[in-house]
Amino acid sequence: MRGSGGIVVSFIALLLGVLTVSQFRSQDVYSRSLQLETPASLTTLVAGLAEKNDSLRDEILDLRLRLESARSSIASGTGSLDESERQVAQLKVFAAQGAVRGPGITVTVDGSFDERALSDLMNELRNAGAEAISINDRRIGPRSYFGAAQPGALAVDGVALSGPWAVRAVGSADVLYVAITRTGGIVAQFELIYQRTRFVVRKESVLDLPAMR
Amino acid sequence: MDQPTAAQRSRLQHSLALLVPALLFGFLVAAQWQTQRERSQLAVRYNAPLTDAAQALQKEQSSLKAQLADLRAQLDTLQSSTSTQSGAAKELQAQIDQLKTRAGLTAVAGDGVVIQLDDAKASSAAAKDLDKSICHATDLTDIVNTAWKGGATAIAVNDQRIVGTSSVYCVGSTIMVNGTLMSPPFNVNAIGPQNQLLGAFDDPGQLRDIKQRRDVQGLGFRVVRASAIHAPAYDGPLTVRYATPR
Repeated sequence: MRGSGGIVVSFIALLLGVLTVSQFRSQDVYSRSLQLETPASLTTLVAGLAEKNDSLRDEILDLRLRLESARSSIASGTGSLDESERQVAQLKVFAAQGAVRGPGITVTVDGSFDERALSDLMNELRNAGAEAISINDRRIGPRSYFGAAQPGALAVDGVALSGPWAVRAVGSADVLYVAITRTGGIVAQFELIYQRTRFVVRKESVLDLPAMR
Repeated sequence: MDQPTAAQRSRLQHSLALLVPALLFGFLVAAQWQTQRERSQLAVRYNAPLTDAAQALQKEQSSLKAQLADLRAQLDTLQSSTSTQSGAAKELQAQIDQLKTRAGLTAVAGDGVVIQLDDAKASSAAAKDLDKSICHATDLTDIVNTAWKGGATAIAVNDQRIVGTSSVYCVGSTIMVNGTLMSPPFNVNAIGPQNQLLGAFDDPGQLRDIKQRRDVQGLGFRVVRASAIHAPAYDGPLTVRYATPR
């Protein structure tokens, strides 16, 4: 009797162990497998991918036309200067090397804030399609970095900028505004974390951003 | 006859001892079954087509990027062949080349550091710490920020070049960089001055959260010196639709 009871207990203990482990495993896989994302997450992912592919297709179409016009102007003896100038203009915006103008949003941050949050805000703006960003009239470049500074200030590319901070982003004003202010979005999260800080997001029809220094 | 015998008492104790594990066992089976059932109801209906769509779009993206790279190369060849003809064209071409390098549109190779980031192995993580033991989008943005601070001249995350419009995006637990689906482990190649880069990552004030999770939850995080590492050219769109030079 005593012997068989021991066997049953060990059997159950073994089963428990196996189940605990498999539960753990499935959780681990759950966090990383596309198949196991929720339908809502998957829908967002699919929308993101589709949007990205659309912008790639637009660019392919644009490049085909430019290639064709460059070819024909070379054939007619006028050279491809127009195309080169166009490319310089585009690259200057992309590399933050020239001053730009355009619609977009301004995010004003007044109160305590930190460099990681600032970097997260940049990431969110870029993700929403911002084409150019500046903080307090300092242009953000492809290699810009954010750091701590004295109280009340944050360092951008090693230069301390005092608050309040005005973050300007050029892009579609509507898309940027919705991306930043949506329910559960980055400003909503900031408002929970930095309760004494005031965040104001405004759509702008014209923003002027300087070139990178 | 009226008094319970020693054998009876022992049997009672035995069944009590078995009751707890039996209950636990039943609970676990039920929990497992329940999650399985919840999953399948939603998952069977929507997940399969959505997953298929995501994978098809990711595949399409790769082919679109290849087409784009091919067109860019054709335009480059065309321009460099004509830039030998006039001084103005030559000057513009030099400007284009310089801007492309600055913007991350050219492949780069050189010495630097490789930062490895991975989820903790399941065995070393307690369930309540699951959130702290996996890598998040913000870990990647923090690492990229530290690498720029350390003087990196080019950075690539799992072969996606980091440029001015790059973002790290997280949906559920899937991470996208430059709109491309990724999963751990992450290898961040940072080309630049090695000692300065290592110094930036060793700085105790940097990446405090990641380092703590490495030490406590077993998050995979390592920075190693590496020579002749690559950062491919950015292969995404250069969309400039709203910003105009002034």
